[in-house]
Amino acid sequence: MDRHTPPALEVQGLTRMYGVGAAAVDALRGIDLAFDTGSFTAVMGPSGSGKSTFLNCAGALEIPTYGRVLVGGQDVTDLDDACRARLRRERIGFVFQDFHLVPYLTAAQNVELPARLSGRRPDRRRIAALLDLVGLADRARHLPSELSGGQQQRVAIARALSIDPAVVLADEPTGALDTRSAADVLSLLRATVTDQGATVVMVTHDPIAAARADRVIFLVDGRVAGRMEHPTADAVAAQMSHLDELVEVRA
Amino acid sequence: MRTLALRSLRHRASGFTATVVSVLLAGVLMGSFTPLLQRAFAGGIPSTDRQTLIVMGAVVGGIGMLIALFAVTSTVGVTIAQRDVETGLLRTLGATRSQVRRLVRVETLLVTALAAATGSLVGALVGNRALLAGMHRGNLVTASVSYRPGWVAAAATTIALVVAALVAAGVAGHRATRGTPSIVPGEESRGSERIAWWRWLLAVALVGYGITMGIITVTVSRYAPDPYDSMSTAGSDALLVGLGLAVICPALLRGFARIASATSPAAHLASHNLRRRSQLFAGVLGPVIVLTSAVVSTVILVGIDRRTLPPGHGADERAINTLNDVVVGMIALFAAIMVVNSFAAVIVHRRHELQRLRLLGADRHQVHASVVTESVYVGILGVAVGLVASLATIVPFGIARGEGVVPDGGLWLPWAVAAAVLALTTAAARIAVGRATREQALP
Repeated sequence: MDRHTPPALEVQGLTRMYGVGAAAVDALRGIDLAFDTGSFTAVMGPSGSGKSTFLNCAGALEIPTYGRVLVGGQDVTDLDDACRARLRRERIGFVFQDFHLVPYLTAAQNVELPARLSGRRPDRRRIAALLDLVGLADRARHLPSELSGGQQQRVAIARALSIDPAVVLADEPTGALDTRSAADVLSLLRATVTDQGATVVMVTHDPIAAARADRVIFLVDGRVAGRMEHPTADAVAAQMSHLDELVEVRA
Repeated sequence: MRTLALRSLRHRASGFTATVVSVLLAGVLMGSFTPLLQRAFAGGIPSTDRQTLIVMGAVVGGIGMLIALFAVTSTVGVTIAQRDVETGLLRTLGATRSQVRRLVRVETLLVTALAAATGSLVGALVGNRALLAGMHRGNLVTASVSYRPGWVAAAATTIALVVAALVAAGVAGHRATRGTPSIVPGEESRGSERIAWWRWLLAVALVGYGITMGIITVTVSRYAPDPYDSMSTAGSDALLVGLGLAVICPALLRGFARIASATSPAAHLASHNLRRRSQLFAGVLGPVIVLTSAVVSTVILVGIDRRTLPPGHGADERAINTLNDVVVGMIALFAAIMVVNSFAAVIVHRRHELQRLRLLGADRHQVHASVVTESVYVGILGVAVGLVASLATIVPFGIARGEGVVPDGGLWLPWAVAAAVLALTTAAARIAVGRATREQALP
């Protein structure tokens, strides 16, 4: 990797507080993380550790209270609402636990939606290639209700990849899937990183899912509590139970 | 954005039924009256006839128009508010606020344009013809006022309806795109929202206008030589006050829910639901208030008029009161359909929630009971507020005609209307919830 290439996503001193005064809650307390282009990172942590808030801030959905967010080296912290919307549809791919396809659009139309929102004419061949990549070339004209959960999630991944994003943010992408569909989706995410050079940041509860990533970041109480390179499911599970004990001691 | 809007429409054709029905009926109601004005200004008719046509078209038609526009704006608002998850998703994927708002406006335009044109045409061709025939029979206008299709009036009605719907879509679209984009349904936070300042302003203006006209009835027009002067200043006061209170429905619901929350466990749950979803239930409460205030005030007004009109107005009286009955019948029918319609719109939105309740172990009967309890609450509050609003017409007109604050007859009417409206409200809720829970509970 060229050492001058900025990270695909970087957060510096990321802090997010909700409420004011005595009722204030610190969801994130100064997080510094960088995600290199072509990396696959899992973010893990117990409930309330700040995982969702981290994704919302990284995805320019929420504005951090303090700290900076950089996407592909560009500081996006202070962008106005319309610029953040454009950033999301041009640089960031979202994958959700509940798929969130638009119910009245076919698989192909869902994949081309970000391009349409940008006012561009979608590239048919590219859409077809993406659906082929996720193994749904023959389902292009199906509505989400005609697809299984695993298939819907793969359409959502194709939609996220359609804009050639700087980073794909996946929030529990296997949380609503059966074991086999989950394995398919994880293999797909792994392949987009290894073969397509995409950058994926995935929030998950599942040690097996986290083990498919290059590294795992552990969040506790809004802080980075640990890292693990080349994770295995057992090692992640062990680390997670250790983190839980830490939380109990603090409480 | 137009393509997206078209696909969205095709997908949720049934979801837009409520909007289409309300716009269509509003078109028929308004379209029946507006051609009278066109006829009045077209010339070639005696000036007394012109006067009558203007009164019928502007005053009576104006009341119908207020109700129709209120119904359209509230239905459009409810329909858009129900799509918070989808608008949140589009914004998360990078749609700007203005793109989402444009989507909502284009959709509303496509849905309302055809319905408004059809309704206005039916009103102009059928409703207006029947209305004129009635006016001829009652000798309100001379035979020289023949029926002519009022194309200009129909076009103007269509435009007015579409513009009202677009304004409502603009307001609702603005509300739907406030704050951080989120795919989490906003139903938990809804209801804690404050009522916008312009709603308070509109409410104060409408209620103030209605009460002022009532005061004018008591202080000025009661002494006018023409006994119909007091009717023209008092006639629509109740409706104005009713509409004004309907505009701030969510606040009324929250206040009422707080009072009602101390009773039984079922009532406790229902009242919390009403308070948290006050924005949503406002779409049902509004029509109930307007229905009650319009019907009670007009029928009592006609009763006072029949008893107190000085001799020498016999023919006029019969004709005008017959017409009053026709108008109140039309308006009541319209408002009744709107109550059913808005219940359908609100309950469709809750289909998933009701199915979730069934998954948690509630049987169909329990789900029905909880929704019907809510509808009884909405009915009671709507009737109470509507009756208070109807006083704005009844008291001034009673004083002006010498019957005093309490009219001499027709006191059974509020009770009958209350019973009818409550029956209608619960029946509408039953029908809507029956449709929503017909399917098997599925995760």
